[in-house]
Amino acid sequence: MSVKAFELVPAVERDLLMGDKARINIECIECCGKHLYVGTNDCFIHHFLLDEVASPMGKLSYSAQKLLNKYLGLKKPVAELRAASALERLIVLCDGMVFLVDMVTLESVPSAAGGGVKIRGVIAFCVNENPVNGDPFCVEMAILSSKRRTVQIYMVHKDRVQLVKEVSTPEQPCALSLDGYFLCLALTTQYMILNYNTGASQDLFPYNSEERRPIVKRISREEFLLAAPGGLGMFANAEGVSQRAPVSWSESVIAAAVSFPYVVALDENFITIHSMLDQQLKQTLSFRDGHILQDFEGKVILASTKAVYVLVPLPLERQIQDLLASHRVEEALMLMEGAQRNIPKDKFQVLHRRILQRAGFIQFGKLQFQEAKDHFRKGELDVRELISLYPLLLPASSSFTRFHPPLHEFADLNHLAQGDQEKVLQCKRFLISYLKEVRSTEVVNGCREDVDTALLKLYAEQDHDSLLDLLASENACVLADSVPCLEKYHKYFALGLLYHYNGQDSAALQVWTRVVNGDLQDSTRSDLFDYIVDFLCCCSNLDLVWKYADWALQKDSTKGVHIFIRRPLSTDQSELNPDKVITYLGKNKQALLLYLEHLVLEKKIQKEKFHTHLAVLYLERVLSLLSDSSADAEPLTKARERLQAFLRESNLYRVQFLLGKIEDCEQLLLERATLHGKLEEHDKALHILVHKLRDFPSAEAFCVWASSGRDPAYRQRLFHLLLEEYLGGEPRVGGGGELEMAAVDVLNRHGEVFDAVRVLRVLPESWSLQLLRPFLNRAIRASMHARHTSQIAVGLAHSENVQLLHDRLKERKKPIFVSEKKGCHLCHNTFKEPDVVCLPGGVPVHTHCVAQRIKDSPTKRHLTNSSNHT
Amino acid sequence: MPDVSKMKKPDVKVVLLGDMHVGKTSLLHRYTERKFKDTTSTVGGAFFLKQWGPYNISIWDTAGREQFHGLGSMYCRGAAAVILTYDVTNWQSLSELEERFLSLTDTANHDCIYAIVGNKADLTDPKAQLSPNSDSFSEDQTDIVEDRTEPQVLSACPTPPASPTSLSGVVPRKQVSREDAMALYGRILRYKGLDEKSSLPADKMCFETSAKTGYNVDALFETLFDLVLPSILRKRHENHESPTVDLEDCRGSGKRVRSSCC
Repeated sequence: MSVKAFELVPAVERDLLMGDKARINIECIECCGKHLYVGTNDCFIHHFLLDEVASPMGKLSYSAQKLLNKYLGLKKPVAELRAASALERLIVLCDGMVFLVDMVTLESVPSAAGGGVKIRGVIAFCVNENPVNGDPFCVEMAILSSKRRTVQIYMVHKDRVQLVKEVSTPEQPCALSLDGYFLCLALTTQYMILNYNTGASQDLFPYNSEERRPIVKRISREEFLLAAPGGLGMFANAEGVSQRAPVSWSESVIAAAVSFPYVVALDENFITIHSMLDQQLKQTLSFRDGHILQDFEGKVILASTKAVYVLVPLPLERQIQDLLASHRVEEALMLMEGAQRNIPKDKFQVLHRRILQRAGFIQFGKLQFQEAKDHFRKGELDVRELISLYPLLLPASSSFTRFHPPLHEFADLNHLAQGDQEKVLQCKRFLISYLKEVRSTEVVNGCREDVDTALLKLYAEQDHDSLLDLLASENACVLADSVPCLEKYHKYFALGLLYHYNGQDSAALQVWTRVVNGDLQDSTRSDLFDYIVDFLCCCSNLDLVWKYADWALQKDSTKGVHIFIRRPLSTDQSELNPDKVITYLGKNKQALLLYLEHLVLEKKIQKEKFHTHLAVLYLERVLSLLSDSSADAEPLTKARERLQAFLRESNLYRVQFLLGKIEDCEQLLLERATLHGKLEEHDKALHILVHKLRDFPSAEAFCVWASSGRDPAYRQRLFHLLLEEYLGGEPRVGGGGELEMAAVDVLNRHGEVFDAVRVLRVLPESWSLQLLRPFLNRAIRASMHARHTSQIAVGLAHSENVQLLHDRLKERKKPIFVSEKKGCHLCHNTFKEPDVVCLPGGVPVHTHCVAQRIKDSPTKRHLTNSSNHT
Repeated sequence: MPDVSKMKKPDVKVVLLGDMHVGKTSLLHRYTERKFKDTTSTVGGAFFLKQWGPYNISIWDTAGREQFHGLGSMYCRGAAAVILTYDVTNWQSLSELEERFLSLTDTANHDCIYAIVGNKADLTDPKAQLSPNSDSFSEDQTDIVEDRTEPQVLSACPTPPASPTSLSGVVPRKQVSREDAMALYGRILRYKGLDEKSSLPADKMCFETSAKTGYNVDALFETLFDLVLPSILRKRHENHESPTVDLEDCRGSGKRVRSSCC
């Protein structure tokens, strides 16, 4: 429970006041700045100068210097003293009279009107600390008059007092306090709030002021502290509402004051200190013969009957540290936040942060991570404070030293966990999540390296998935620390990433290749080889590419060649041009093939050299498979298909060169036929297909392929060639029938491409009509179709012609006169018939003359041809 | 626990009233801390600030002791809801509400709502022995009757229908039925001069709870909070309308704020 919030420091000792005169007692005190006034029961006012003396140990003490004492001459105790420093006056209550004395001389002040300034019949008075009237050279004062049930409001000036208001109360008041317009009064049986301006009143609660002395203490703007039944300290505001929970005093409280955030109360034997924040008793000080307790401008002063003491608050920071030291985090924070307005803003922030941090560590020690995290975040903790708890996490290069005074009592994590590995693990997980969250915030400005390195070490140790994410993204891991750590935990893939991030690709590749080679063990990526290939694809350092390409091709040439194939097109053409790569790959047939395929088939590079090279590679593969008698048929078929397809589709390779290579190979007849086809040596090709291979479907396919993209006549020529191959030559024994059947088939199947007339001419007489029926049907139909089409075309052309003629005549609208008297311009004979032909210009001539003229003209032949054609 | 929210200004006030030992502090404690623990007799009063949506609701726990009775009307001043609490095993605690506590509510808002709550229902009602929510109260439930430290004897009194069994301390009998509470509610409305038809129905405003098991506790507070929302809105609206500048809002400036400058 206990907090040391205050210290009791003697201010004025007995000898300075009354020496050994036993009958003299202190009756009242007033403190204004350094000036302390003490009123005694023998009608003296003593004036002291109170100086604070701070010892080198930081302990505060007071030295009092007596300036003056003055007998007021009334033989009665001085009941109350109040300073009005702006007026340089002390307001004195003595013997039922209020009057003013000079603050320095303690001489009674003569009234402006002559005589002393006096108010008679006063029981008690109070000064308004929050006056509505803003005049600084005038003090508002309320007095309880011995005149029954009234409160009077006075304005006190330097040399006069002025009654401004008088209000009556339902019962006799015995204590009062004033704030603004609000009087807070203790009546005989209850407390009440009374607005002296409007007269409105508000009952607070019952209290028997004859049983117990009431306390009415203004504590802040429109808020009062009152002694309530049962030894309570109740708070009430001007509206009669309690906004704070009451504090629990003893029954015999004499006086109370507020020194935020504490309520200090005095009873016969003790000073009790409660917090206004949680209403708990925080400190008890023994104090005998307590008599007076008052706060003056924030300073709490007490008096016994014989001596004066100051209740010095300990610095809040110290109190808070004490609370933290006993692990009372919540209380410390509450005190801090509650006392916010009593601490300068900049200082508060620093202190608040430190307390939050300390609180965080305490909770961290209890493994209350969520709370700890909140406090760390709010307290803007230097993350390294936390990291430094974990042995060896901070990089050796870190300049960090722990904050002094220390924020926590732990040497390190092991100390904290006391050997409990489960705890250690939890703490580590917490740190991971915390660092992960903060590393992207500004909290880590200036210590990014430390944070990232620590995180890397934790990830590596905990085998955490995020290790790779960390290294693959922007990070500030310190190489010197991270490398040994990653090596220790066999995180070689991650190590490579780290090297790469730091621009050391060579080192990265070295580590990775060693993993692939099995020299190092790291199962992070089972496809590390592929990763390396991809990496080399994008690697801008060509020396490295060449260096590791060898290794990669050796490991797996099919995958390895992707280093070159997948390389994105970039400016390094000169460095890594295809010729150079091909030369490089020369020895490695498989890789070369893939690379050439990539160039020719995918990138469609139109270079004879590559095409020929690829064709030769395909051919070589086929040849090697052919020569290997043990090989399966399957790969050979595939290889040949590839070769054939390429030979057919590419137009760039050197046909003669390839032909030379397979001329003597009797097994590659189909390929030879294709090559001949490429050379337009169709007869040779068809000869091979028909007579050597006897592969009639291929022969037909050849005709279709070789004529694709050409005009129909070309195709017709090819098919006729084929037909000749079938029918020509001497019919062989046995096989003759087969060729003839092929001929029939091709005719029946591709009838439309043949010139039927020519076909009929070459067909043997012996063939039955039935055999050729499909062909003939189609031929006749085609012929009929052609005829009809032409007729339609002629008809259409004719009609178009007539139409044009009509249009033309209409256009000219000029009659052409033909008469027997007119002569033809061509033969100069007269017209005998109405049929004439008009030459351009509307000149009529004989029909036969025009015909003659056309016959003689140079276009004659053309005209005859075209007429034939249609 | 007290926290930063202490510093915030409450929007509305809810007050717990009732005779001593009926369980006001325990009810509040159950609601705010989700547990039941031994409490000592409340001295004076205490309050708790509850964040309810965007609003701060202050809940005042008052002292039931006769000694502090005089403070009651001050606590009730400006209250938007009053929870009148009695003990279902103690007839006297219900009648005290009417005799002693009802007059304290004269200072409450004119539209204040009243709830009548019979606590310690776990002692008489089997269904109150199990908490409605899944919080684990197993340790509480094992010895529901035995370890109850409440001095039944003190408050047991011979008013009808007094029961001698409550003195035996074995199984306290239910002395107050829900109908009794609802009848009291009706009398309260009449006392306030409110029309029964336009007021909240007794059925809705009478609760039987157990702070020990948590039975009906959340329902009680949450029902009330929802019901006082209009009061908050009206209050805010009034504040908004008024030309007064809320100086409390601009914190950090000194405590002495004057309208005129000098």
